Amino acid sequence: MNSPWQAVADWLDSRAGTRKILHEMLDEPVPGGARWRYVWGSALAIAFLTQVVTGLFLWMAYSPSTLTAWESVFYIEHEMNFGWILRGIHHFMAQAMVVLMAIHFVQVVWDGAYRAPRELNFVIGILLMLLVLALALTGYLLPWDQKGYWATNVGTNIASQAPLAGPQIKTLAIGGAGYGHHTLTRFFALHAGVLPLAVGLLMVVHIALFRRHGLHAYRPGVRPDDLFWPDQVLRDAVAALGVLAVVLGLTVYYGGAELTAPADPANPYDAARPEWYFLFLFQFLKYFPGGTEVWGAFFIPGLLLAYLLLMPWIGRSRAGHALNVGVLAVVLGGAVLLTAQALHDDYYALWNKASDPLPEDGPRREVEQARRDASERFLRARREAHDEAQRVIALARSDGKIPPAGALAMMYDDAYLQGPRLFRRHCASCHNYARPDAPDDPRNIVHSAPSAPNLFGLGSPAWIAGWLDPQRIASPDYLGYDGSPFADGDMVAYVQEACGDDVDPDQRQQVRQAFAAIAVALAEESGLPRQEALDPQQVARGRALLAGELADTVPSGTGCVDCHKWGDAGELGAAPDLTGYLSRQWLLEFIRNPAAERFYPDSNDRMPAFAPHDDPALNQLDDQSLGLIVDWLRGDWRLAEDDDQEGGGPSAEGRVVEAAGALTP
Amino acid sequence: MTPAQPPSEPRPAAPVPPRRRFLAAAAAVAAGAAAVLGPIAAGVVAFLTPLFRKPKSPQVRLALLDQVPADGQPRFFPVVSQRDDAWTRYDQSRVGGVYLVREPGADAPYCLAAKCPHAGCFIGYAAGSDRFQCPCHTSAFLLDGKRVNGDASVSPRDMDRMPVELRSTVAGDAQQTEIWIEFVDFQTGHKEPLPSV
Repeated sequence: MNSPWQAVADWLDSRAGTRKILHEMLDEPVPGGARWRYVWGSALAIAFLTQVVTGLFLWMAYSPSTLTAWESVFYIEHEMNFGWILRGIHHFMAQAMVVLMAIHFVQVVWDGAYRAPRELNFVIGILLMLLVLALALTGYLLPWDQKGYWATNVGTNIASQAPLAGPQIKTLAIGGAGYGHHTLTRFFALHAGVLPLAVGLLMVVHIALFRRHGLHAYRPGVRPDDLFWPDQVLRDAVAALGVLAVVLGLTVYYGGAELTAPADPANPYDAARPEWYFLFLFQFLKYFPGGTEVWGAFFIPGLLLAYLLLMPWIGRSRAGHALNVGVLAVVLGGAVLLTAQALHDDYYALWNKASDPLPEDGPRREVEQARRDASERFLRARREAHDEAQRVIALARSDGKIPPAGALAMMYDDAYLQGPRLFRRHCASCHNYARPDAPDDPRNIVHSAPSAPNLFGLGSPAWIAGWLDPQRIASPDYLGYDGSPFADGDMVAYVQEACGDDVDPDQRQQVRQAFAAIAVALAEESGLPRQEALDPQQVARGRALLAGELADTVPSGTGCVDCHKWGDAGELGAAPDLTGYLSRQWLLEFIRNPAAERFYPDSNDRMPAFAPHDDPALNQLDDQSLGLIVDWLRGDWRLAEDDDQEGGGPSAEGRVVEAAGALTP
Repeated sequence: MTPAQPPSEPRPAAPVPPRRRFLAAAAAVAAGAAAVLGPIAAGVVAFLTPLFRKPKSPQVRLALLDQVPADGQPRFFPVVSQRDDAWTRYDQSRVGGVYLVREPGADAPYCLAAKCPHAGCFIGYAAGSDRFQCPCHTSAFLLDGKRVNGDASVSPRDMDRMPVELRSTVAGDAQQTEIWIEFVDFQTGHKEPLPSV
């Protein structure tokens, strides 16, 4: 009575009636005593509170606009202290909530706990479930990464097919005709404001009604009754802790929540999929031919929802209750099967070897082939998205950080990322970019029938040496491609005569040494930023040979400058200028116009002049793209591939889920 | 602290004429509703802004005719145009992508939207293939944009075509033919191609 704490408690009680509140909260009778099976509702409530708390802290670092959303999430994930844990908890707890909701719901239906007088509370529970799913849907977009952007794109397009006002609903949801700042601000206002507020209010009502009606007891007479505090509270707390442990485990296992590359409206993400708990809907839509998908997307789910809402009334009789349980089992079973089918479709190529024989007959063979192709496209898109995400994150973590124009602009300026795309679009219909020693490397860009040299390693001593090797120069990687006018040309003939098999071995050895030195000297000209150190003696010797001394070594008495220009020696016109060979400037000029006097004025094979005009509007390639292609070919980009993993914290590598068995990308 | 006061008995209310009571109730409801609904209305009106902005389909210079040889093969081109995103103006922004296909012997290519008419995914094309393939819900299209499976396809219609125009430009002594398109953003999910509202 005399302790100061007691005095404070008395004062609070007299002013606010706290003892009565506490009594009502904690001394709720639990008929039949505390049980583990009662924990799910509480675990769900605590999971929601976890989302509120982690969400508020994420909010403190998040900035919803197309130029800052990805950037701020990147910063949370990779720069803030344990930001990846914070975001990981929020991400995986959202998934835990879906699982807990399913358990809670199944239990209520199984136990028949929806019967009078609990019908209203059951209906509120269903509304809560829909709100939580809406929270999941809106949250998926907020990082503004490729995955969320394209999945939401599909989701809102489907919403636009809603009966009556579909297009208007879509326009209002995304805040305009296209996705942009206001898509983010609206989704964020829903995700962090409207929806949690609604969930919170409904939860208060849900719990108040639950208290009003009392716990729906399981075999109440078997054990003595008890109070909520402390035994049931202990069980609830342990369950909540268990959920958190699982969530933390997943966070650490996956290295946090995935962040794919920044959303790029012009660059599709072919592996865009909704979160795993919406996969069944995604799969369901595949079965509706064009024009009927309103059935798959609205009418059938709507009818199902209507049935769920009517369950308490249908379940009044014993038979009705059995029907409810049966329907629920069919729906959940169907959802599991559809989810499994969606995963099976996507990972088909991973689980079935490409070498497995295809069925013999026509239609089945075609179906099987289409299935494998679709799965391979999905897996390839995942892999490329993974690589792209790692690269952008590495750039953002480097000293340069993210420029004010945002991460997407940074990506567009990156030769490492843009090079392969531009090469595919403009160069790959003739040239290959294939590693000779790693033909299966997924980064190779291979045309089955190339009609121009392979450009992998361009400018390196090894690549240049190929031009001076009697076998390699005549191979498809150099001038021996199909339909090559150069296969029997002067250069091939010259190299084969100079050091081919017909030449005296001593002489051949001498010429080969001379050619090796020339290759090194030309590599020095190219000045690739990332090539191994060149032997200065070789460079000096090669330069001397280039300038004219080669003529003394080769039996024919012809040297480089008899056809090529090299510094002040030689003339332009017969063969490409070797001055500054394959340097950035040389390559830029070459691609601009290979038929220019400096290169192939009379003997250009089919290569187009990509940018011969001063007026950019007349050119096929703009200057930026041209520069990016050249830089990529020359391996000239901001961070070496080896540097990608630098920096503290979990690496980007660890946090991107491997394609295999990833339920939660 | 104020001294504790004994709880006083509520005094019986004076009888109120029913008409006055009704007026008071009506006034209370009206005033209260105005006080609450006014700000809500302001919010709703602002929220509806996008419905009153009509999107325009920009005319876009896509490529030079030389870039689309008459070999019947689809070639992908990003659509770059000025784009306003609320308060930000992008002078050169990629707003989408299209495929240009020029049949052997044809003077001009036709232009197919890369956006799938089903749910708006980006339809892909692998060089050398005889069909377009959507990565999402298995739609497939022939090179002229027709659905491989016709009405059994999940896509409600064939790939959308956009108007193509050839324009000649002269700069100095060089003359080039440019391919321009009207970039239309079509709604998904309908049998008919409807531009976005």
